[in-house]
Amino acid sequence: MSSFFKGKALRDVLNTFLKIFGNNPETNSSQSIKIVASKPLGTRLYSGEAKKCTLIPGDGIGPEISAAVQKIFAAANVPIEWESVDVTPVRGPDGKFGIPQAAIDSVNRNKIGLKGPLMTPVGKGHRSLNLALRKEFNLYANVRPCRSLEGYKTLYDDVDVVTIRENTEGEYSGIEHEIVDGVVQSIKLITEEASMRVAEFAFQYAIENKRKKVTAVHKANIMRMSDGLFLRCCREMAKKYPDVKFEEKYLDTVCLNMVQDPSLYDVLVMPNLYGDILSDMCAGLVGGLGLTPSGNIGLNGALFESVHGTAPDIAGQDKANPTALLLSAVMMLRHMQLNSYADVIERSCFETIKEAKYLTGDLGGKAKCSEFTNEICDKISRTS
Amino acid sequence: MALRIVHRNSLKCVCNVARAQSTMSAFEIQHKTPLIKKQHPIPVAMYGGRNAVTMLPGGGIGPELMDYVREVFKYAGAPVDFEVIDIDPHSEESTAFDYAITSIKRNGVAIKGNIETKSESAGVLSRNVALRNELDLFVNILHCKSFPGIPARQKDIDILIIRQNTEGEYAMLEHESVNGVVESMKVVTESNSNRVARYAFEFAKRTGRKKITTIHKANIMKLSDGLFLETSRKIAKEYPEIEHNDMIIDNCCMQLVSKPHQFDVMIMTNLYGSIVSNVLCGLIGGAGILSGRNYGDHYALFEPGTRNTGTAIAGKNIANPLAMLNASVDMLNHLGHKQHASLIMNAMMKTIAEDRLLTPDLGGSASSTDVVQKVIDHILQADIRPW
Amino acid sequence: MSVLTRNIPRICVQASQTVAARSIHSSTNTNRAAALAERPDTRVTATLIPGDGVGPELVYSVQEVFKAAGVPVDWESYFFSEVNPTLSAPLDDVAHSISKNRVALKGILATPDYSHTGELQTLNMKLRNALDLYANVVHVKSLPGIKCRHSNIDCVIIREQTEGEYSALEHESVRGVVECLKIVTAKKSQRIAKFAFDYAIKNNRKKVTAVHKANIMKLGDGLFLRSCEEMAKLYPNIEFEKMIVDNCTMQMVSNPQQFDVMVTPNLYGNIVDNIASGLVGGAGVVSGSSYSAECVVFEPGARHTFSEAVGKNVANPTAMLLCSSKLLRHVNLNSYSEMIRNAVEKVLKDGKIKTKDIGGQNSTQEFTYAVISNLDLPKA
Repeated sequence: MSSFFKGKALRDVLNTFLKIFGNNPETNSSQSIKIVASKPLGTRLYSGEAKKCTLIPGDGIGPEISAAVQKIFAAANVPIEWESVDVTPVRGPDGKFGIPQAAIDSVNRNKIGLKGPLMTPVGKGHRSLNLALRKEFNLYANVRPCRSLEGYKTLYDDVDVVTIRENTEGEYSGIEHEIVDGVVQSIKLITEEASMRVAEFAFQYAIENKRKKVTAVHKANIMRMSDGLFLRCCREMAKKYPDVKFEEKYLDTVCLNMVQDPSLYDVLVMPNLYGDILSDMCAGLVGGLGLTPSGNIGLNGALFESVHGTAPDIAGQDKANPTALLLSAVMMLRHMQLNSYADVIERSCFETIKEAKYLTGDLGGKAKCSEFTNEICDKISRTS
Repeated sequence: MALRIVHRNSLKCVCNVARAQSTMSAFEIQHKTPLIKKQHPIPVAMYGGRNAVTMLPGGGIGPELMDYVREVFKYAGAPVDFEVIDIDPHSEESTAFDYAITSIKRNGVAIKGNIETKSESAGVLSRNVALRNELDLFVNILHCKSFPGIPARQKDIDILIIRQNTEGEYAMLEHESVNGVVESMKVVTESNSNRVARYAFEFAKRTGRKKITTIHKANIMKLSDGLFLETSRKIAKEYPEIEHNDMIIDNCCMQLVSKPHQFDVMIMTNLYGSIVSNVLCGLIGGAGILSGRNYGDHYALFEPGTRNTGTAIAGKNIANPLAMLNASVDMLNHLGHKQHASLIMNAMMKTIAEDRLLTPDLGGSASSTDVVQKVIDHILQADIRPW
Repeated sequence: MSVLTRNIPRICVQASQTVAARSIHSSTNTNRAAALAERPDTRVTATLIPGDGVGPELVYSVQEVFKAAGVPVDWESYFFSEVNPTLSAPLDDVAHSISKNRVALKGILATPDYSHTGELQTLNMKLRNALDLYANVVHVKSLPGIKCRHSNIDCVIIREQTEGEYSALEHESVRGVVECLKIVTAKKSQRIAKFAFDYAIKNNRKKVTAVHKANIMKLGDGLFLRSCEEMAKLYPNIEFEKMIVDNCTMQMVSNPQQFDVMVTPNLYGNIVDNIASGLVGGAGVVSGSSYSAECVVFEPGARHTFSEAVGKNVANPTAMLLCSSKLLRHVNLNSYSEMIRNAVEKVLKDGKIKTKDIGGQNSTQEFTYAVISNLDLPKA
């Protein structure tokens, strides 16, 4: 508990500092100050009790990396109590396989969850579990921050973008039919409600995470009505957030510029398919899905996950890289306004990767998952 | 004896199936015959005005002739891209050959030299024949037209030989029923005879030809050639404006060498076609001039008119390039590149008639490359240059 | 190397490019090339659409270079624009001109987000549909002298551009709910798949990658993928591979060298085109072309009007010049084609004259002059 209080103390200091800073007439950063002031930090920390959080360890390497995250969280004394649930599909009363009710209840109760990679059973009749979870909890927005990590060299070292993707409609509406033999029609569905929702989230996220700019990615020059609607919603929402810069860019322009100069972009908000493609591309810029965290924000709660595969070939061999899940967990902490813990863990993780002493195989090192985890834990204990 | 009966029966079955197919409409085939695979035509390989064409150089002089064609095409700017496939004549396995067939099916059009089949074993079919059968190129057209400037026995011949190309004596059904007795099957089907006759009459009608002669041996082979003759007579009734007569093959050969000008369009079964076309080629100047066209419902194949490999003169730079160039002109015409076709054709005509540049087989002394070079020069000096 | 590995179907070459195995006229070849160049009556007419944004400046650059090189091409120029409908030539005229000339050089048409007449189809789409320009080919290749993060990229992206997401079939069923139809047909999917494989055969390439999202859009993209798979069976010598579009973009930015020929539906093609163009230096250096059965329209590979640079004389004419070089090759003016291509590559390689987008300070005009001075003109 002591470190928890310490965290709070730290935040107070920070707040004071910002206030002083904000009163300084010579600074131009009044914008960021306002943002901070508009949402007092630590509002959800009124109770000193640990919050419950659902954990879905997942398949393949899932359990090991989940254990690693739990260990690191314990080392940082994060006031969270894990509630581990199993989502292996069970046959429901309607005869279809689905997520066990216990798991659903748990997330609904806790409103927050962390999930490892899930394997979708091959074969007919099984809906993708990821899809099922998305439906169940109404996860309307997918957030993926992609940041270049020091210590892991890729061709791009200045990437710091967040992709926010509408997750419930668009091209992935699932409405398709074959009109006549050999002619298929798929429907891309864009609604004002969903577009508004995701746009609002994007601006909210930008403010909460001290981001400067939101870019709406669209193709309204071709899909004039559907993407046009999405774009209109973004524009409208932008009016409500005058502090955040807003721009609109064509999808192709973003693709072109992103690979040339990723620093042009900050927060990107877009419909489903574009988001799917761009978020993976950004992950590619910084070194793959093994390093990118992901969060799904819904009406009934939020689910943070690592988006890489289950890697069954190295499962159980203590070789997996827990970074993606750990960073997702950090995102979760931020979402829960536990920023101080988030910062400590994130910093330790980045430093460990930067020092490159304990890197797992996928980053070109030889360390085991446990060694990597221990190193992060050490760093955390040293800082606190 | 039993064997023969079995064969005849199976033959009848073949006929029935073929007949059933031809009388059904495309709609019926799609919906009433689940066993027949639905035809999905492969899109034509024509992109931005350029055609992809399969090139099978074959054996003997084939490869060098193909080089000439490509060289001429380069200067004529013919918008054709060749996919060259070499088939090893000695190889028993058919990978390359199968690939060639796939390639022709994709491209729709091919130009070929003579593919040798060196294998002696009875199980290996002649690849030329196999190719025609596989692609169902049921008709072969040889336009025998005298070239001005080429010394020949007969002048001003203009005969069109239309030959059934996939069955008849070339059915390749042979067996030794008892020791020392070999039976070879000649297959004539009504549907195929029908197709050839129909093609001939339509062709004659469209090109303004006056007369069609059916060549046969129905006095001896009463059933098989009889069927062929009957069918063409039946079709002829639908074209009253075109004169139709028939002639027995042996008489035909005699008439050809003595009074060839009585013929206009001739239709015949496979073997007779082979004989007649070689006779005619001889009359107007040898094997190195004419080109033959093979058509099916979906594909077209162009080749030198007399199907000889010319292995003896390969590599000596004396092979006559005209036949293959003529084939390439036919191909350009088929693809609709008429300007390029006439450009090359005129250049060839000039080379022969004005420059009198002839290869040894025509009594000249020029080398193959001399002729090709002259053709190219004429192309470069032509008034028009399509691209 | 590939020639060795694929021995049997020997080489597939453009007839126009063939160097005959037994080079029979080696001595006279050069004379002939000169003869080809000299002939005055071999002029070719091509349609020219400068387009919007910096298009006219780039086209001017091409015309300057053509003039300097003495290229026997006559232009039939049309002002064609959607943002400026009053001045634009009618679609029919332009389409007729292109189908008559069979070649065209085209800048980029700006497509506004809304139409004055409430139409959903853009002018670009209309032109493509009118001429059935179904296949868009973008050859993305690392150019010498342009510094990029990635090197040795050499891939061809073939994109279906007449259906898919760009169907322009949209409607608002209830207020606030818009449906946009994506149409995929077996016929067009097969056609583009065959185009891709034939392209691979013709250009001696080894692999075709189909980009799709059939795991989600099981019917639509599934049909596309199935068509590709079927077509792949006809090309036993070309390796066929499938890749989901999101993974593809990730691979593209991390390991682009693995790609050879890619075949994609409309929207994915647009995305992949742009990513790949970004990898080799941006919209200013990548050329592309659109094919129908009859005609070809050469246009820059990544379609950006770059309207913020209009009149500033800073746009990079490389893409347009490479397009024009390809156009010349298509109309069988190979010597000119080579001449211009070599000149452009030489300027880029020397690196003395660079436009802004590739890290230099020179103007469009200076670049154009540099290209002109590097033209290897045949000696009179």
